Amino acid sequence: MSTTVKRVYGYLAEFESASKLYKAAEKVRDAGFQKWDCHSSYPIHGLDDAMGIKRSVLPYFVFFGGLTGFLTAISLAYITQVEIYPTVVQGKPANIFTIPAFFPIMFELTVLFSGFTVLFGLLGLMQLPRLNHPLFASKQFARATDDGFFISIEARDPKFSAEGTKALLNEIGGANIELVEDEN
Amino acid sequence: MGHRVTSADIPANGEQLPKSKVGLVMMVCGAVALAGLIASAFFLWGGADKPTELRGNFAFSWLFAVFYFFTIALGGCFWTLLHNVSNSGWGTSVRRLMENVGFVFPFMFVFAIPLLFPSVQTYLFEWMTEHKTAIQYAKDHGLEDTSAVAGLEARAAKHDGMLIAKNWYLSLEFWHARFVIFFLGLGFVIWKLRKLSVDQDTCSSPGTTRLFKARAMSSWGIAVFAVTLTFIAVDWVMGLDYTWFSTMWGVYIFAGSALNSMAVILIASILLRKAGFLKNVVTKEHDHIMGKLIFAFTIFWAYISFSQFFLYWYANVTEETRYFILRNTECWNILSYVLVFGHFGAPFLLLLRSDLKKKNNFMIAIAGYLLFMHFLDVYHMIIPERGPSVGNVVSHDPKLWMGGAWIGDLIAFVIVGCGFVFFLLRNITSVSLYPHRDPRILESANVHN
Repeated sequence: MSTTVKRVYGYLAEFESASKLYKAAEKVRDAGFQKWDCHSSYPIHGLDDAMGIKRSVLPYFVFFGGLTGFLTAISLAYITQVEIYPTVVQGKPANIFTIPAFFPIMFELTVLFSGFTVLFGLLGLMQLPRLNHPLFASKQFARATDDGFFISIEARDPKFSAEGTKALLNEIGGANIELVEDEN
Repeated sequence: MGHRVTSADIPANGEQLPKSKVGLVMMVCGAVALAGLIASAFFLWGGADKPTELRGNFAFSWLFAVFYFFTIALGGCFWTLLHNVSNSGWGTSVRRLMENVGFVFPFMFVFAIPLLFPSVQTYLFEWMTEHKTAIQYAKDHGLEDTSAVAGLEARAAKHDGMLIAKNWYLSLEFWHARFVIFFLGLGFVIWKLRKLSVDQDTCSSPGTTRLFKARAMSSWGIAVFAVTLTFIAVDWVMGLDYTWFSTMWGVYIFAGSALNSMAVILIASILLRKAGFLKNVVTKEHDHIMGKLIFAFTIFWAYISFSQFFLYWYANVTEETRYFILRNTECWNILSYVLVFGHFGAPFLLLLRSDLKKKNNFMIAIAGYLLFMHFLDVYHMIIPERGPSVGNVVSHDPKLWMGGAWIGDLIAFVIVGCGFVFFLLRNITSVSLYPHRDPRILESANVHN
């Protein structure tokens, strides 16, 4: 028999329906927890407000990502087409008034860089990709992609306590409350 | 989390804007519009045989003002149709405003009447003059067939080949027939849709029947709208120069039209809330959605108008470049630049942020600003044609700029604008402010995005 102490991830509790999950989330939010999450197989409208999630900083990244793309495009097109190799195409001048010809490039690179910032910024903020998640140790958690509605509260949260958090989850209507520990 | 709106919050007989609240505004606007319309029509009538610069300038001013307010009314039709056809729930509480803006369209016919005067058409539409003189030519030369085509074929002057080729569309009979069909067709659609919606307000057992009927009707109504808007734009504005054509013209007009009627709807909804109406059903979420639509159409407008310019600029084909050569000459070029940065650049950057879209005073300012930019946009479409056209008709001396004619533009704008406001207020005060018995009103009132 092994006596190794396993690292506790946190509590996992199941809720009957989306609306029960929503109500419970409001209570967990009001109890002041920070490191916790809701799990459902589909998006629930307004759940981010019920959880008290602040607006993401991602839009600001995207703005500067887009701006970078825009400036890259202007420099790329202008320096190559006007400064280094002035090219007369279709009788158009090779100066700043050629700029309409660069608009498609400016548009495309702005969109491309914004898109990249969205994708990679999102992955970065969500800390993805990752190989495993401690919650996968729970057998019942597999139902989160089917018909289960869960709330997990992490042990890292300063408000977490083995007894108090369990009592809270019980009080707000959680069933099958489970202490999730790391496998091995 | 705000208060959740339930049916207890919705008055059984709806909210209404009492006529007394806006009575004075309506009376002043109505009086200005009526007096202005009669005076303008009187001024524009007559004098076809002896053209003067003053009349010619004002003919363009009138077309400019009428077209500006037409695009806004047409946009109201578009939003109503789109809301119905896409089975939307978010906007049920502002749908009546869309219907009211759209229902201004049939009334605008009275302001369009001067465009039917031969004395106005002389200045605006050169092709009509050519057709009329060709018919006269055929008569004078004793041709058996005195149609415009026969006259054009016999005369065989410069550009007559083009007029013959375009005759199937650009003929006097067809143009006037279309003029009437536009109003009858789309006028019927928007009248019927608004009636369906208004009838529900007093129905004791409001179900989903009218909703489905409105959706079925909108599915073909939106095609009527598309055809009407495109060909009004072609007939009245692109037709100013019959040698020029743009396949993007309809979409271009549509972009500005949808954008600015949403601006009007947003302003109306905010002002009504400031006056204490609509408070139960219209929230910050609606402001946000409408702000997003304005933002989206700002980009769409830029996309379309740039595409139109870009293809002509790049291809550099003689028949196609005239429009932009005229508008990129001297002072008109400044206006073109203003549109690039003012109609697209500034609002794009200002509307990027989501929290600003929920600030009512900011949105009123930006919607008003966009309406001003639309003013410049329509000015840029129509007025550069005035100098060449009127100059040519009056003294065979095409000009770039008619000095002092802008005063007439403002006068016409105020007259037609007063008419627009009068009919809009008439529509708003005559029915409930929102469809309070619509099955989706609660969904809309509690919308979250």
